[in-house]
Amino acid sequence: MSLNPFGNSRLLRGARRTLTGLHPALESLLAAVIGLLIGALLMYIWGFDPWKAYWALLQGAYGGSYEWASTLSRATPLILTALTFSVCVRAGMFNIGAEGQMLVGAMAAICVTYFAMPSGIHLLIGLVFAAAAGAAWSIVPALLKITRGVSEVISTIMFNWIGRWLALYLAIYVIVDPQRAEKTLTVPVTARFPILVRGTDFSYAFFLSLFVALVLYFILWHTTMGYEVRAAGLNPTAARYGGIRNKRTMIVSFLLGGAAAGLAGAAIVMGMPPSYAAFGGGAFPNLTNIGFDGMAVAMVGRNHPIGIIAAAVLFGGLNAGGRVMQFYGSNPVPLEMVRIVMGAIVLAMSVPELIRLFPAIRKQGQSLMRLLRKKGASSEEGST
Amino acid sequence: MKKSAAPGSGRDADGYLLRAEGITKVYSDGTVALEEATLEIHTHEIVGLLGENGAGKTTLTKILSGLLPPTRGRVVSPKGPVRFASPREALDFGIGMVHQHFALVGTFTAAENVALSHEKPFSRIRLAETRERLEALMEESGLRVPLDVPVEKLAVGEQQRVEILKVLSRDVKLLILDEPTSVLTPLEVDELFVLLRRLRDRGTSIILITHKLKEVQSVTDRIVVLRRGAMVGDVRTAEATTERLAQLMVGKTIATEPTAVELSAEQVPKTLSAGRKKVPLGEGILHVADLVARGNTGEIAVDGVSFDVHGGEILGIAGVEGNGQSELVECLTGLRVPISGTATIRDTNILGKDPRQIYRLGVAHVPEDRWRLGLVLPFTLAENAILGVHQWEEFRGPFGFVRRGRVNQHVRQLMERFDIQATGPNAPAKSLSGGNQQKLIVGRELAKNPAIVVASQPTRGLDIGAAKYIRDLLIEMRDNGRAILLVSADLDEVLALADRLAIMYEGRFMGESCPGELSREQIGMLMGGVACKEVA
Repeated sequence: MSLNPFGNSRLLRGARRTLTGLHPALESLLAAVIGLLIGALLMYIWGFDPWKAYWALLQGAYGGSYEWASTLSRATPLILTALTFSVCVRAGMFNIGAEGQMLVGAMAAICVTYFAMPSGIHLLIGLVFAAAAGAAWSIVPALLKITRGVSEVISTIMFNWIGRWLALYLAIYVIVDPQRAEKTLTVPVTARFPILVRGTDFSYAFFLSLFVALVLYFILWHTTMGYEVRAAGLNPTAARYGGIRNKRTMIVSFLLGGAAAGLAGAAIVMGMPPSYAAFGGGAFPNLTNIGFDGMAVAMVGRNHPIGIIAAAVLFGGLNAGGRVMQFYGSNPVPLEMVRIVMGAIVLAMSVPELIRLFPAIRKQGQSLMRLLRKKGASSEEGST
Repeated sequence: MKKSAAPGSGRDADGYLLRAEGITKVYSDGTVALEEATLEIHTHEIVGLLGENGAGKTTLTKILSGLLPPTRGRVVSPKGPVRFASPREALDFGIGMVHQHFALVGTFTAAENVALSHEKPFSRIRLAETRERLEALMEESGLRVPLDVPVEKLAVGEQQRVEILKVLSRDVKLLILDEPTSVLTPLEVDELFVLLRRLRDRGTSIILITHKLKEVQSVTDRIVVLRRGAMVGDVRTAEATTERLAQLMVGKTIATEPTAVELSAEQVPKTLSAGRKKVPLGEGILHVADLVARGNTGEIAVDGVSFDVHGGEILGIAGVEGNGQSELVECLTGLRVPISGTATIRDTNILGKDPRQIYRLGVAHVPEDRWRLGLVLPFTLAENAILGVHQWEEFRGPFGFVRRGRVNQHVRQLMERFDIQATGPNAPAKSLSGGNQQKLIVGRELAKNPAIVVASQPTRGLDIGAAKYIRDLLIEMRDNGRAILLVSADLDEVLALADRLAIMYEGRFMGESCPGELSREQIGMLMGGVACKEVA
């Protein structure tokens, strides 16, 4: 008789083979399903009916054209901040600073209120402002890393706070609406994204996100610059051998990422009715966590522009459907449950990594069992 | 002191401390590191373990110290067979090893480091007690280190003494030192040897791994020579001559092995590759003068090297690894900035330039580490095939777009010309076998149409077929009038391919000659740091 609990592990091995052999896209899908199941379990424990809640969520997210519109409008800034994170990951760095870069970009976009221009051009100028501000905000951590070796994780987190307080200062004292002190100036009509579906908050800003995703895809996979960025991210020494200047690829990736994050801020203040402004008084309710959620979207989207669009539609749907879920008649599940589901999805993303560790765990277990058996045998000998 | 008195006590039949019997070690990738090696260690003796790279010295000592299990064979002590599952068990038995790379916590003092090595998880650290014991031990052994300074502030030699102290404080009977002198200054080496002799007289047995002939002769009582995993010699130091040791270390030329061809003599094609044509020496391509460069830890790794490489010749640099060859190659390929000296390619300075500028001057570089330097493993074959040339007009279209069509065409040509076995241009490089990966690198570099090829360990770890193929390619390039700088730790390879060869030892060229001018024994001595004059 075998004492080893891992002795009959054909099932385990099968699971491992399946999971490690999975296509990355399937892995993400599986993670989403696991996240939803964990959410269901929690709802059940709290006495809600998960099926009803998820039905409400599904209806609220993808049930009709209005629902699709609000899902896609929520996906819009997430696509951009996810691109920020993923471009830098491709270059081998963790840019946690999308939140701050996005806020600074939003403030820069609001500044177009100070001058009048024909519509369209006004919008374009605002986008340029936002992208430039976001890029400028991310270049400082990149330069700190290159010149002084400061970890970009630490510096970008710090810059999130500096950016947040700077934006709050601007929103409360500088670009504040003279009539309503709790909000900034409202972006004029000439600088707004036109609404795509009447009566919803779905605007042409979505196409900006798609466009940026596409552009970044082409840069990363079809230009020599993107080639250098990816090579430096995967193997910096080999990149150096190949004549690639790693400092340059770092700067490039941070500039591209920062610009995308700045555009995310612009997409909200210039393309999200009804406010078209930032609310400094309420500490930016419509601008908070877009950068951090973008990191989750990037993870689920496997840091690939196309995957990010799909993942953003999922997360946008969860956000949009979650609002419906909490008002669903007999079964009002709080909105926080949706955040739990999101968290569970991100955690489940790391499960395949865990499964890959199984052989090592199994080996440890076997040697432990051998040891126990040996001790058992020797004590038996002792007693006879 | 009588030279043979102290070790003498160990020579009686039963006076052994430890015996490794018929040890065979096969690594999981099929490499046979040791074959039927037998080693007996007596009390009161210093044994030198001598051999080239890959001879199995380190593997053997790792088995003795519990780091590796042997595939076959056993280790016997006078009380019976012993088997160590971990270095800790070996230490408990009384065998301790000091590795080339130290395992010290830099911010801890020597006393804290030693105390740390004694503790089991969750037990209390007894610092005062450790200190007392260390002071007694230092008094007794004559090994002095500052106990209260963070070890990162100590010189490398002192750090090494902390490591030795750490092992000695466990009351070891057998102390194993892996290339202990490679990081020391000459003065520190002398101090270390005085210490080792004193430890031996106190009753500790010592195994000294080294490839330096002078050192092994100056301090050991007995020398065991390993070559390609087999014991080839076990001689008393007093009876050993430098020539004999060098010959044992590098091996005799066996009839089946390639023999070196003397260029000056009549051409007899008998290399391992197709016959080498006599190529008229071309123009000077690479000119290096008085190059000095530091290694990664700040030591002088290249110490004033000068040479020329002409078109149509292969200059081979032989020597035991770690004697500055890597740093030399890195200086010449833009990966390291030297301290002083000059290096020019066709009269254009290359020192301090970017790799991409150097490639433009017609340099191809086959790097020594194909996984770390040569390839981006997750990249596809096509992406790897343009590494380093991706900015060249051939592959870079308008707006910096990569010319996919041309890249794919280029890869297909490479695959065909260099016989790279892969499913297609989009197969990831990590899915290729080692031989095919190397063919990809060599192919990529040779396709640059270079004036000079710098090839560092080009056939390491390859099977015979792939190695022969790559050597043939180098000869073909040479015959086409290209200059080739071949750096290899494989002496046979250098002797078979090179038209001229230099032997590098501690950052300097020990001698430059044509193959055939020097005997293998003489080359072995040069590799071991015995200068030419002493040879003659």
